[in-house]
Amino acid sequence: MNFLKKLRPSSRESSLFIILIVAVGGTGLINPRFLTGDGTRDLLTSTSVVALLAIGIAPIVVMRHIDLSIASTVGLSAWAVADFCAKNPSFTWVQCFVIGSIIGLVVGIVNGLLVAGLRLPSLVVTLGTLYIVRGLVYVVSNSVDYNAQEMPESLLALGQKVYFGLLPFTFLMVIIAMILMALFMKYTKSGRDAYAIGSNPPAADLVGLKVFRRTFLAFVFSGVMSGIAGVFYLMRFAQVDSTAFYGQELAVVAAVVIGGVTIMGGSGTVVGAVIGALLVQTIQGGLAALGVDAFWKAAINGLLLIIAIYADRVLAVRNEKQLLTQRIRERI
Amino acid sequence: MSKFAKLGSVRLSWDTAIIGLLLLVWVFASLTTSNFLTPLNFSYIFSNTSEIMIIAFAMLFMIILGEIDLSVASILALGSSMLGWSYAKGAPIWMAILICILVGTACGFINGFLVTKLGLGSLAVTIGTLALYRGIANGLLGENTVNEFPEFWTSFGFDTIGKSFMPKTLPLIIIFGILFGLLLHKTPFGRRTLAIGQSPEAAKFAGVNVIRHKMIVFTFTGFMSGVAGVIYTFRFSTAQADNGVGLELLVISAILLGGVSIFGGIGTMWGVVAGVLLAGSVESWLTLQEINAQWRTIVTGILLLISVAAPVLVQKGKARRELKALKS
Repeated sequence: MNFLKKLRPSSRESSLFIILIVAVGGTGLINPRFLTGDGTRDLLTSTSVVALLAIGIAPIVVMRHIDLSIASTVGLSAWAVADFCAKNPSFTWVQCFVIGSIIGLVVGIVNGLLVAGLRLPSLVVTLGTLYIVRGLVYVVSNSVDYNAQEMPESLLALGQKVYFGLLPFTFLMVIIAMILMALFMKYTKSGRDAYAIGSNPPAADLVGLKVFRRTFLAFVFSGVMSGIAGVFYLMRFAQVDSTAFYGQELAVVAAVVIGGVTIMGGSGTVVGAVIGALLVQTIQGGLAALGVDAFWKAAINGLLLIIAIYADRVLAVRNEKQLLTQRIRERI
Repeated sequence: MSKFAKLGSVRLSWDTAIIGLLLLVWVFASLTTSNFLTPLNFSYIFSNTSEIMIIAFAMLFMIILGEIDLSVASILALGSSMLGWSYAKGAPIWMAILICILVGTACGFINGFLVTKLGLGSLAVTIGTLALYRGIANGLLGENTVNEFPEFWTSFGFDTIGKSFMPKTLPLIIIFGILFGLLLHKTPFGRRTLAIGQSPEAAKFAGVNVIRHKMIVFTFTGFMSGVAGVIYTFRFSTAQADNGVGLELLVISAILLGGVSIFGGIGTMWGVVAGVLLAGSVESWLTLQEINAQWRTIVTGILLLISVAAPVLVQKGKARRELKALKS
């Protein structure tokens, strides 16, 4: 029983979840199709890629870092996997995931070495690798696109697999990754260290936490998740060109921040990040149902992000005040 | 005191290094390419870097302060879209230009308000406004473009002065460069900028109004992005929502290449000018070598990584040598 209580998400996640339900309900009122099995399946399918990436960068953001190279890595992984499959028709979904993960791993190692090893600011480093990785996609792809015909049937079948009529395979994977990562962040030493490092990096160094190893591994993890997200991208769209997922890194950052992972580090959960991704997607869907032009999508993303940062700040200030009053009360 | 002298010498050496590197690139490029060292090519380099240069003048202050503004390219696009939109709606051209600059200034002010008055992190906020401003431009123009502008103004965008190699925009850039250079190096405002970058706390206790100072810098960064928006619109003779996508990264990499510390507190105007010209010259050399345009994305990324890694490595090497000297 005690264990269950511990597993219950903290108030931040539950309030986010309530907002999500309200948003889904509101959208359902405008467009009843949204609440059917088909609608839910569409929502979950279209959120899978962003949600997986959100799980990948949440630990990095918790550590007061950022990884902007994820969208480029998705592009590289998606294109390269499609390319390998086109050249080796015997490949199945297994090889796809292996190749995707390896590509992500390499990008993650480069980012990790530069950020953790040389202690360079992650913002600038990952901006640089964002460029380099996307440039690599441009160069190796040479404007070659791939369609469903060149992709393994087993991969596409997996992409269309749906459990209970509403849970797509890709989102099932997201849920499994989320649960594993949530347990990891909460119950292992490495996970707790991430919060300590993000709350106060110099102090974490002074008390002897393995800052290099933790930071390095966080970037490697994010890289691998981006690589797998690239395969998810193929499963969803069944086609890829060199501009695949271009510029979407900000949508992921927005989802994570809206999900309550503070950009200043030290707090937030993976569960929140996934709810954030779902919320962004729902609001987009809701506005589309209201007849808002798709051209406004980016503006809405930006506005949502700013509101989330502001709400986060207000909550943080209130929290601090509460702690302070509590401390003063104890002295009376 | 000795610590500050050391800081000064590191900065000076990096600035000289970058100017030296620029000259080296010019020598190398003119040896490997017959038409690099021509007036025409330099005219291209100057005009291709004009928006980057204009925004970099203001962004220099921003990064010295220890803040960052990632929304500059989106401000450029929003200003440019407003310019085209209002001109197409029948506003006189001078008013459209004014609108572009005013919109830019307003966007900068909003960034400043969110960062200083609401106390939000500039990185996160400007990622948000990056999406927001370009999103508004997108909503405003959609996929439409406006490309009918008076010839006087489009010629201002891409013609040269008389028969010389100087683009018509160059005098404007030089004036802005001198103004901002003097502002940074010769006025109390500039000294305060450096002081805040070194330590916001210390600057605050020394009586600097940090919030107002940051507000001013954010606002004039918006203003300069608006000016860059005008130049961009006329240089390409198009106002559209995806004008200058990704330009913010070019600006930042050029500034860091110019020896400005991403951690704040260190930076010079001549370093930045050299940094922008260096990036522009490398790009020009790649074009003349007929190296695939796709490689340029990679080169930009590598330049950015070098520009941020090199100063750190230089300082590490220095520390190691000092350690050795102490031991012997």
